Amino acid sequence: MAEDIRALSAALAGNPASLVYADLAEALRRRGDLEQALRVAKHGVARHPEHADGLDCLGRVYSDLGDLARAAEAWGRALALAPEHVGALKGMGFALYRRGDARGAEEMLARAVAVSPRDEAARRALETVRRAFDAAPLPPAPSADVREAPVPARAAPSPPSSPSPAESAYQPEQREAPHRGGTGAAEPAPAAASPDSEAGPTGAGSPETVAALPPVFEGFEGATADILLLDDRGLVVAGGLRGGDGRDVSELAAAALAGVSGEAGRTARYLALGEWRTIVAEAADANLVLAPVGAGAMLLVRRDRSMPVGLTLRVAERARGAASLWLERQGA
Amino acid sequence: MSEALERSLDRLSRVRGVRGSMFVAADDGLVVGQLLMEGVNGKAVAALAASLARKVGGAAAATGAGQLSFVQVEATAGTLLLAPAAGDLLVVALAEPQVNVGLCRLEMMRAAEAVR
Repeated sequence: MAEDIRALSAALAGNPASLVYADLAEALRRRGDLEQALRVAKHGVARHPEHADGLDCLGRVYSDLGDLARAAEAWGRALALAPEHVGALKGMGFALYRRGDARGAEEMLARAVAVSPRDEAARRALETVRRAFDAAPLPPAPSADVREAPVPARAAPSPPSSPSPAESAYQPEQREAPHRGGTGAAEPAPAAASPDSEAGPTGAGSPETVAALPPVFEGFEGATADILLLDDRGLVVAGGLRGGDGRDVSELAAAALAGVSGEAGRTARYLALGEWRTIVAEAADANLVLAPVGAGAMLLVRRDRSMPVGLTLRVAERARGAASLWLERQGA
Repeated sequence: MSEALERSLDRLSRVRGVRGSMFVAADDGLVVGQLLMEGVNGKAVAALAASLARKVGGAAAATGAGQLSFVQVEATAGTLLLAPAAGDLLVVALAEPQVNVGLCRLEMMRAAEAVR
């Protein structure tokens, strides 16, 4: 890979107007050199603002950097130029899903599957999204002749482009899962938006945000209103939390809770207390139990003060088991 | 530190498994009064406890749980207990993992009352 990067860098240095910048940015991204990848991709896109592959690559770099809003903007620009761009469709599907818009994500991924029916990653992502809101399952895998299926999208023709890093290298499984840093190996993250997303001016999502999350805590009281699974970067993974007025406060809570996990770990280490297992917080209006779930994820269970703390702890232990099992099944 | 506060720390420290108890200024994490077993770094406990209380307090507010009254951090090799008290103080106890948390909690609430 280092040699590829050297060769691509040399090619770009030899011809700064070349479209090879997209391949170079993609190679840098795959190596984990995200800052450099961003510089190359931004520079290239500035020079070639109508290069859909470059915009798709820029979207992936932003996504890896955790800036989903900018990633979605780049993929949106790519799709405006090339509505059938599979990489951008998958990227936009991922971004919408992370934002809690499962139906929008389904539309994008269905378009990606229609354009590229043999793209297994897109199919798996689409199935994941559909499972998230109990939509009808996919029909059996299409045969080769379905590749020409019409695409339910804008009919503008795609401009000619260089070999697409999106199609040659990028697969949605390589996007980061919500509980991981960098590039992970999971299906599109079954999570709601990140704190800096466009869910709303207060960070609160729509009611659909919670409904679209995977039913990890099915059978638990308050499965989507009082139990939240989040990652250590403050992103929602599953469950949901509602405020007293019924609004979804999952994202706000996840952002605040991520700091608690780090602080608890630091405190336990400094005081030679070992690994922290639970934090019980009794408060004026509710009791909270926080517990780590594997590496990089944390569970919150909120219960009314009328429920004894010991019972809340038992509920949390069961919920932790369910979350742990579910994460294992996701390969996370 | 007043005699009443000293007495409350003394009672708390007598709970089996408690390795140290203290009053801590919540805003800067400085020790106001303490009763510790040998080997316990009071300054570190105070600073970390105050910082953790701020984080958990912020999370409680964000989750709609309201103002904190008691926090228990259970770890594999010990337990840290916090209870906000009047005057922007925290009652803090560091204990063994098997400590009777219920009893500690009662003593800590009593200590918090003694601050008023």
